[in-house]
Amino acid sequence: MSESAISIRNVSQRYGDAGAPDSVLALDDISLEVRKGEFVCLLGPSGCGKSTLLNVIGGLFKPTSGMCHVAGRLVDGSPHPDKIAFVFQESTLFPWYSIIENFRIALKFQGIPQSEWDDRAMQALKAVGMSSFASHYPDQLSVGMRQRVNMARGICVETDILLMDEPFAALDEQTRMVLGEDLSQLLAATGKTIVFVTHSLAEAVFLSDRIVVMSARPGKIKTIIDVNEAHPRSPDFMLEPRFSELRNECYALLRDEIRSTMAAQRDPQSAGA
Amino acid sequence: MDRSNFATRSIQISFLAVLAGAWWLATETGSISRLFLPQPRAVYAAAERLVQTAAFWSAVSVTLMTIAKAFLIAMIAGIIVGYLVTRTRLATQVIEPIISGLFTIPITLFFPMFILFFGIGTGSKVAYGATYAFFPIALNTIAAFSNMDERYLRAARSMGAGRWQTFRHILLPGALPVLMTGMRIGFFICFASVLGGETISSVAGVGRNIAHAAELMESARMYAWIVFVICTSVTLNLIVYAFENRIRNR
Amino acid sequence: MMSSSRSSLAFWLRLVLVAFIFAALEIYGRFYADPAFMSPPSGIFRAFVERILPEPKIIEALFLCVLQIAAAYGLSILFGTLTGLLVGATSFSRSAFFPIVLLLFAIPQVSLLPLVILFFGLGPAAKIAFGFSHGVFPIIMNVVAGMRDVKELHLRAARSMGASRSETIRHVILPHAVPSLFTGLRLGMTMTLLGVILAELYVSTGGVGYYTRLFAENYNPAPLFALIGCLAVIAILFNELVRLAEKRLTPGLRRSAALTNLVKE
Repeated sequence: MSESAISIRNVSQRYGDAGAPDSVLALDDISLEVRKGEFVCLLGPSGCGKSTLLNVIGGLFKPTSGMCHVAGRLVDGSPHPDKIAFVFQESTLFPWYSIIENFRIALKFQGIPQSEWDDRAMQALKAVGMSSFASHYPDQLSVGMRQRVNMARGICVETDILLMDEPFAALDEQTRMVLGEDLSQLLAATGKTIVFVTHSLAEAVFLSDRIVVMSARPGKIKTIIDVNEAHPRSPDFMLEPRFSELRNECYALLRDEIRSTMAAQRDPQSAGA
Repeated sequence: MDRSNFATRSIQISFLAVLAGAWWLATETGSISRLFLPQPRAVYAAAERLVQTAAFWSAVSVTLMTIAKAFLIAMIAGIIVGYLVTRTRLATQVIEPIISGLFTIPITLFFPMFILFFGIGTGSKVAYGATYAFFPIALNTIAAFSNMDERYLRAARSMGAGRWQTFRHILLPGALPVLMTGMRIGFFICFASVLGGETISSVAGVGRNIAHAAELMESARMYAWIVFVICTSVTLNLIVYAFENRIRNR
Repeated sequence: MMSSSRSSLAFWLRLVLVAFIFAALEIYGRFYADPAFMSPPSGIFRAFVERILPEPKIIEALFLCVLQIAAAYGLSILFGTLTGLLVGATSFSRSAFFPIVLLLFAIPQVSLLPLVILFFGLGPAAKIAFGFSHGVFPIIMNVVAGMRDVKELHLRAARSMGASRSETIRHVILPHAVPSLFTGLRLGMTMTLLGVILAELYVSTGGVGYYTRLFAENYNPAPLFALIGCLAVIAILFNELVRLAEKRLTPGLRRSAALTNLVKE
C-alpha cells in the first residue's frame, strides 16, 4: 500500500500575471503524496484552491510552477483519461443523451472499443442499482439518482484514479450519507485511488483515509489528519466518539480560516491583497 | 376532455364561428360594399377557378423556389458566420451587438436597394429574403454556441474527448434546440419577406398576384389568394412546431 | 474590473470595424463601382445635403412617416397592453384567448397589405393601421407571457400574507410582468417600424415610397441611399427612445437581451 499513485511537488497556481492588482495566488507551493488505493479528501473553506488542485492533478489546468506525476507519468495540463476519471456534480451528465448514451460517449471519448461499451455501462449501472433506468434521460431522474449514475459513469471507465469535485454538493443530507456509504464499499471492492474535494466535515471524516486541511488565499496545506478506520465503513462509524472528535478537530482547524474568508467577502478593503 | 378545457375550446370555436358569421351576414345584407368584402361563396368560386389555372401553379412554384433559395442561403451563411463568431469571446463581444443592432432596423428599408442591384425579377427577392432571414439565424447560432455550459466542456475534456468529438457530441447537441429556434424564426421571416417583396415590387409570384388582383379591384380573386396564403402559413406553422416538439421530447 | 476593461476593448474594436467597413465602401464606391448602382458614403452624404434637405416635399414625407410611426406605436401600446392584461388575467382567459392571439399572429400579415390599402386608402390611415397590426402582437404576447411566468413560490408567499386576488395581481403579477412588457415594447417598436415602412414602400404614388421608386428607377443611388439612411436614422432613434424609457422605468431589473424571439421563452 505504500506505492505512490499521485505525487505533487511544489505546485503553485496563479491566476492573472504576478504583480497585477487582480492577480490571485490560488495554490502556494503544495506538495503531497497520495498512496495507491488511498482515499484522500481535500477539505477547506470555499476559495482555498482545492478544486484548482484537483484540476491540476487531472491535467485540466497547467500549474504555474511545480510538477505533478500520476502513476509515474508527468501530468502537465493535458488530461489522461486512461488513468484518471473525473466525477463532477451531477449536472455534468449530458442532458441531450440518455443515461446509457452518456456512458457510451464517455467510453468512446476514452477510446474503448465499441464492443465493450454496453457491457461495461450496464455493469457499472448495476453496481449502483440503476440498471433499469438506462434508457431514461437525465431530466427524468431525481438529483440523487443522477448523482448515482454520474458516479457510475466515473467508475465504468475503469481507471485506477478517481477525482471527485464536490460530487455531493447539490444533494440533501440523507442522500449524501447513503451515497457516501456506497462509495466506501466501492473503494473497498475496487481498490481505486480517490481524491475527493468537499467542504462538508462529516463527509470528509466518514470517507477519508487522510484529510488534507487547506487554508485560504493563498491555498496551502495546513495539516493532514489520519483517519484510521478500514473500508467499507458502516454508518455506525458516525456514532463512535472518535468520529466526532475528528470532526471537531477539523472544525477547530477550519473555523479561523472560514471566519477570515467571510470577513474578506464582507469587506474586501480590510482583507488586503 | 374536462370542463374548463371544454369551455376554452368552445370559446375558440365560437370566435371563429362569429367571425365567419359576421362575414356572411355583412355581405348578404349589403352593409359593406362587395368590392371590399365579397361574399364567402364568391371567394370560394374564385378559389375553385384559381386552382384550375396554370398561372396559379406557376406563381406558387416561383414563390416556393424563391423562399427555398433564400432560406438555404440564409441558413448556410447564418450558421457559418454565427459559429465562427463564437470561436473567441472577443469576436462574440465585438460582432454580436452589430448584428443584433442591425436587426432592430427593418431590413425592408433597404428593399429599394435590392431592386436596384438585382432587378425586379426573383433575384432581388432571393437576396432580400436571405438577408432578412440571415439575422435571426446568425444571432441564434451565436447564442447557441456561446452559452455552452463550461462544465460540460470540462467533463468531456477530462474523458479525453478530441476536438471533433467535442464538437460532434457536446457543442452540437447542446446548441441544437436554440439552432432550431433560429431556423424556425428565420424560415418564417424568409416566407413573409419574400411575399412582401413580391407584393411591393415584382413581376411574378404569389405576392405579385395578390397586389395585381387588388389593383384590378378583383376582390374575390384577391381574397382567394389571401386565404390560400393564410392556410399555407398556418399549416407550415403547425408542421414546424410538431417537428420541433418531436426533436425536443424525443 | 477585468470584464469592464474587456467590454470597453470590445467597444473600440467594434468602432474600428464599423469605420473599416465604411472606408471599404468609400474606396469601392469611389474607384470600382458602377455609379448607376453604387455611391460612396461621401457621395451619399452630399446627396443628403444637396438633394434631400432642400426638398420640402421629401422632408414633409419623412415627417409624416415619423408621425405615422408614433401614432401606430401609441395605438399598439394602448391596445396591446390592455388586451394582454385581459387575456393574461386568469389561467382560464389565457387558455381560452391566447390560442386565438397566436392564430392571428401566425397569419402572414404582408399578404393583407393590398387589402389594408383597399380599405384605408393611400393616405396615412392605411400606414398607421398596418404599423399597428404589426406592433400590437409582440406586446400582447409578452404581457401574457410575463404574467404567466410569475413564480408559484411568490404567489404562495403573497397568499400566506393574506393578499386578496386583486392585491396579488396588483403587487405580484403586474410587477413581475414589467420586464417582459418592455421586451414586448421593444419588439413592438421594431414591428411597427416594419409595418409602416412596408406600407410606405407599397404605396408608390406618394410619400417616401414615391421617392424611393423614383430614385431607384432613374438609377440614382446617392439620393436613394441618403433617403434610406434618413429612414434608418429615424428607426434607430425610435428604438433608442424605447430602450431609454426601459432603462429609466425599470431600474435594477435585468433586461432580457433576446431580440430574436418574438416571445420570451
